[in-house]
Amino acid sequence: MKRLTHLPTLRIDPSQEIPLKYNRRTYQGVHGDTVATALFANGVRILARSLKYHRPRGLYSLDGECSNTFMQVNAIPNVCTENTLLRRGMTVEAQNVKGTPETDRMGFMDKLDWAMPAGFYYRTLHKPARIWPLALKQVRKAAGLGVIAPDFEMKGKYDEIYPQADVCVIGGGPAGMSAARAAAAQGLRVILLESRPWLGGFFDYRPAEYHDGVPLYRRARELAQRLEETTNVRIFSHTAMVGAYNNNLITAFQQGGPGDHFDERYIEIRAVSVVVATGCIERPLLFENNERPGVMQIGCAHRLARTYGLLPGEQAVFSIGHDLGLEAAIDLFDLGLKVACVADIREDGQDPRLVDELAARKIPFWRGWVATRAHGKKTVTKVSLSTIPGTQQRDFGCDLLVASAGMTPVTGPLTLAQAQLQYDLHTGFFLPAQLPPKVHAAGRLLGLHDALAIEASGHLAGLEAAADCGVSVDADRQRARENLDSRPGPVRGCKLVLAPVKGRKSFICFDEDTTIKNIQQAIAMGFEATELIKRFTTAGTGPGQGGIPGHNLPLFVAQYLGEASVAAQPTVVRAPLVPTFLATYAGSHHDMCKRTPVHDSQKQAGGVMRRIGVWRRARYFSQDFSCREEIVNVRNNVGMLDASTLGKFRIWGPDALQALQRVYVSDMSKVSEGKVKYSAMCNDDGCIIDDGVVVKRGANDYYFTTSTARAGVTGEWFRYHTRYDGWNFSIVNLTDAFGVINLAGPNARQVLEKVADADVSNAAFPYIGYREFTIRDTIPVRAMRLGFVGELSYELHVPSSYMQALWDILAEAGRELNIRNFGVEAQNVLRMEKCHLIIGAESELRTTLHDVGLGFLWDRTKTAAKTVGAVALRQTAEQEGRLKLVGFKMEDPSRTPKDGSLIVDRAIRGYICIARHSFTLEEPVGLALVEAPLNQEGTRLEIFEDECGDRRLYAKVVPTPFYDPEGTRLRI
Amino acid sequence: MFGRHKPLWGKKTRLKSSYDAVIIGGGLHGLATAYFLARDHDLTNVAVIEKRYIGFGGGGRNTAIVRANQRTSQNVPLYKEALALWPVLTRELDYNLMFFNCGNLNLMHSEAAMNAARMNVATAQFHGVESHLIDAKQCKELIPALNISDDITYPILGAMYHPPGGIVRHDAVVWGLAKGAARHGVHIHQQTAVTGIGVANGQIVSVETDRGKIHTPRVLLAAGGYSAAISYHMLGIKLPISVLTIQAMVTQPLKPILNHVVSSGTYHAYANQTLKGEIATGAHMDPWPNYTTQTTAYYIKHQAEALAEMLPCLRGVKFMRHWAGLADMTPDMAPIMDGNAPLKGYFMNCGWGYFGFKSCAAAGKYMARFMATGNCPDMLKPFTLRRFAQHRLMGETAALMSYSPDN
Repeated sequence: MKRLTHLPTLRIDPSQEIPLKYNRRTYQGVHGDTVATALFANGVRILARSLKYHRPRGLYSLDGECSNTFMQVNAIPNVCTENTLLRRGMTVEAQNVKGTPETDRMGFMDKLDWAMPAGFYYRTLHKPARIWPLALKQVRKAAGLGVIAPDFEMKGKYDEIYPQADVCVIGGGPAGMSAARAAAAQGLRVILLESRPWLGGFFDYRPAEYHDGVPLYRRARELAQRLEETTNVRIFSHTAMVGAYNNNLITAFQQGGPGDHFDERYIEIRAVSVVVATGCIERPLLFENNERPGVMQIGCAHRLARTYGLLPGEQAVFSIGHDLGLEAAIDLFDLGLKVACVADIREDGQDPRLVDELAARKIPFWRGWVATRAHGKKTVTKVSLSTIPGTQQRDFGCDLLVASAGMTPVTGPLTLAQAQLQYDLHTGFFLPAQLPPKVHAAGRLLGLHDALAIEASGHLAGLEAAADCGVSVDADRQRARENLDSRPGPVRGCKLVLAPVKGRKSFICFDEDTTIKNIQQAIAMGFEATELIKRFTTAGTGPGQGGIPGHNLPLFVAQYLGEASVAAQPTVVRAPLVPTFLATYAGSHHDMCKRTPVHDSQKQAGGVMRRIGVWRRARYFSQDFSCREEIVNVRNNVGMLDASTLGKFRIWGPDALQALQRVYVSDMSKVSEGKVKYSAMCNDDGCIIDDGVVVKRGANDYYFTTSTARAGVTGEWFRYHTRYDGWNFSIVNLTDAFGVINLAGPNARQVLEKVADADVSNAAFPYIGYREFTIRDTIPVRAMRLGFVGELSYELHVPSSYMQALWDILAEAGRELNIRNFGVEAQNVLRMEKCHLIIGAESELRTTLHDVGLGFLWDRTKTAAKTVGAVALRQTAEQEGRLKLVGFKMEDPSRTPKDGSLIVDRAIRGYICIARHSFTLEEPVGLALVEAPLNQEGTRLEIFEDECGDRRLYAKVVPTPFYDPEGTRLRI
Repeated sequence: MFGRHKPLWGKKTRLKSSYDAVIIGGGLHGLATAYFLARDHDLTNVAVIEKRYIGFGGGGRNTAIVRANQRTSQNVPLYKEALALWPVLTRELDYNLMFFNCGNLNLMHSEAAMNAARMNVATAQFHGVESHLIDAKQCKELIPALNISDDITYPILGAMYHPPGGIVRHDAVVWGLAKGAARHGVHIHQQTAVTGIGVANGQIVSVETDRGKIHTPRVLLAAGGYSAAISYHMLGIKLPISVLTIQAMVTQPLKPILNHVVSSGTYHAYANQTLKGEIATGAHMDPWPNYTTQTTAYYIKHQAEALAEMLPCLRGVKFMRHWAGLADMTPDMAPIMDGNAPLKGYFMNCGWGYFGFKSCAAAGKYMARFMATGNCPDMLKPFTLRRFAQHRLMGETAALMSYSPDN
């Protein structure tokens, strides 16, 4: 097909050919083509088949409102080829067809529409019940469009950026550019988003006069150039705005060009003020076979010629309801298109100059006529026109039918920003009755058509946005408003929805093959709310979402139900306004985990790292996941554990103690200097949520630890539970500021002695003591003598920057003793033998402090403190039938039950929290939560493991702790 | 083949001045209860009052997943029965609910999670519900698109595999139940808002609506996310419910790629392929209470990040629609099903959070029995409102809930 190569409006470079592989044949496109326009240039008219009826589909619009041009591109499904730029090396294939779109063997489905009324699948395929599984398979196979392979790898680079702006303008047409310019002139930082690769909007391709003999396209290029030269305007072209969220958070994605470092990038903009100048798409005209290839919208036909140099057909009929249609007919005629007839739905209201120009070209112009049927099996060969009431009819042979009922404002960004839409009688648009704060609308989407009015409204919106940013623009605004008021206002919209036809093949939604008849069926079945009709008929739920049916559906429903004023509401528009790759949303996707200060050395030492909450920790130090050597070493010698993930806090101030009393169950006034106090926190149900130790470092100055999981929320917990008291205290989270080494085992002191600058003998630093001293004259440590693993142990807290140094010093000092690392799993077994609890492992939502055997921590006398959970602790202290934590041993010691196994009789009575073969005790031991009275010592527990069938294991409730019940090992 | 298209849930009827029972909320639970009241208990003089249109709330916003592998022995039997009811209802309602019995995989990413999953699996097996622990390789055999390599944020260690689960067409359930209820004579009043509930001597006597007053001795509160507000504002009864937004989204439609429901608590993501071919995906609730159904930029991005790791081929697929609904969360993630206390004739079926879809059939059946007979069926006894006052929370989740700051 010959290109029109000398138009000044072209966005292609005909001299640069790009080959394209489509359905195993090679075609030639040119630089600037989209995939679909390149195929169109090669005479391909049927680009896809529809979802349900496999009807032929072709170019209809060029803005991706429907799936008419969806193909597989480079193995990526559902690529909208009408706005996907042609690139070198592309392999393109049709999808959802048997054969090619031209010869799809599923085409017979179109004749079966009688068998598929609205929601037919709800009413069929289930009788008899046994056919459903078979039908289901067929339904799944028939549904869906493109194919993605399970091993598909998405190539390319995906970036993300988070710019801020004073004013974000959505839409780079004349209104958007004017708005951006006005705001930028006030010195504000402006971001402009434009979905096409160039600025200009609907000026870009039109040779009609702007003003003083300047054509619109030249005006657009002038505006664009000036904007590009403005340094405080950041232009993102080829960028689709996809979401608007609270407080003007705008999301968009940009497609990269040849010089960009990304293929697509996710953009999240926080703007003070937003101007929406997204213009209009066209409202599809509904008649029989209204989506037959050869039927296209005004902008599509016009842009094919003016932007891509492709005459959209040879012989055309126009059936339109807007002046743009007249303008396109005249311009395309001048470019060589034969125009058989221009039928205008409107009886009056046309621009007289356009009417004169049509007459000058002897193009028949019929007012009050509309297309009723497109003929032709695969592409249009003939068109029937009729008067609006359907009284007269005439046929015209043609290969192009330009059909459009009018305009549809692109209000998606406004509705996402929570604007409520209302029907506007004059324009026939659904427009916001009131705009959300700091959001403005401008240009064509308000119904404006006059070029100067569009620019004036953009200018005004830009000033309004500037005012939102605190700039004083009152005088300018006044002038801008007067200027806008002096121009023509919104044009009257064409109201016709459906041509005088029955609508059996009038498609209100292309993606889902929903016809007018389907909508009528749904209404007959009681679905009267537009949202319900949408759900039931699936109109507007396909890849193009509301692009095709969004405006027509509520209009048609309102008219059909005979409501005098259009009360129907459009269905809700949802993000993303343009379908967006998961790859793009995922962006560069950083894994933001935390590493302890000695992470690298842990890994080097053979640590098998596991993700634990936000951290990575060494869970094992060998491939023996039973951790025998690590455990035995701690029991008999000395080991080191990186416990840096513990939550660590400082709380200080005159009311620090009161705050501690509020959240800890114990009497915290008994915390004395030089000693650690172990206590717990509960929630209002008395459920234990955290445990840890508290030390007093000075008057009203405490340091305390929490479990790893609670480190993030403890500060908030304190503040929340003291929020009405007006207490004076401060709390700071030191979790990342301090690292912790747990030096544990009977030989721990021998190691510490060598390096500590203080006496760490049992007498000078006894069990549950707290000391601060230096190591090797340099490293300040906060040392606690604790015994979580049941042995002599020192928990050494040091500033994170010293952690690696201290680790290396201790490792060096312990070398002759064969000190070694132990990991989280070894610690888990060691503490379990000692029956020290891990919150969340042996406690859960249902268990109170009493239930897990820590009721002794609760001081019931400190009622004045209003301790969180105290009421529940009092109420549940003697309650029967609660889950209780018990220790157990197996009847048959050769078998350790699996964690998570159930304790049962006729019903489920509890479960095993943890069970391990104890190398220390040489038999399996474990902890379980069981319903009282099964917690009585000596009770026989029946264990139900997964996949056990009829087999059961048996255990006995035994006293705890299993290891060193007297605690002598802690005190040596 | 189809004959004339008749109104599915009867013609629009006028609001009568008296009904034997009034159900507030034309969602899944309200309609199911209405259906079973009429079907099993001959109580057909019943009105369902819906402020918007039927299925406006969770009924139309959930992601259609059904399963019976819950954590506790109070819940599993209820969901087991609900699961068995889908084919039964399809037949009875003569409406294809499109149960796709594809099975569910709940991925586990740590040793601790595998152990926790074992408890769920054992609980299911103890109750005769099929559920198994499988390893990563077996997961990959079931879902070839799954990434079981070690170089992702949360490597997959295995999964809880629950073959009886799957997906059901959620809208069909709403419409089918409405059809069934209407066929038995139940009146469904859409676009009708409840404005008050009348009480005399500790007994429900009436419901006021914006279309007039209805005399009734029984009222069921089944208003989903709005239940707690109705209960408090109209009766002064506080329910321990926090309302949070929960979001979901779908991709563009694809030919079959995912033949199971796959979910991961760690990644906060689940995905299943609808019969239309879209990948429906969602995850956890927003971390703060609110009554809006607004979506967030964070959420859709998070979802993409999670799926891009779990199912990397989906990187080449596009998100198409993102929406939100309300989850009415109780402190123990189990619902409140109670009645005749503290007011006679006042029944509650709420607090379902994001489990209200999979349970609706069975919950409706037992609530109907409760309302008709006045005796609480054993199945519902554990779900009493009193459990919160007694600090006897149900163990539906082991983890502490933190959606309200006082928890």
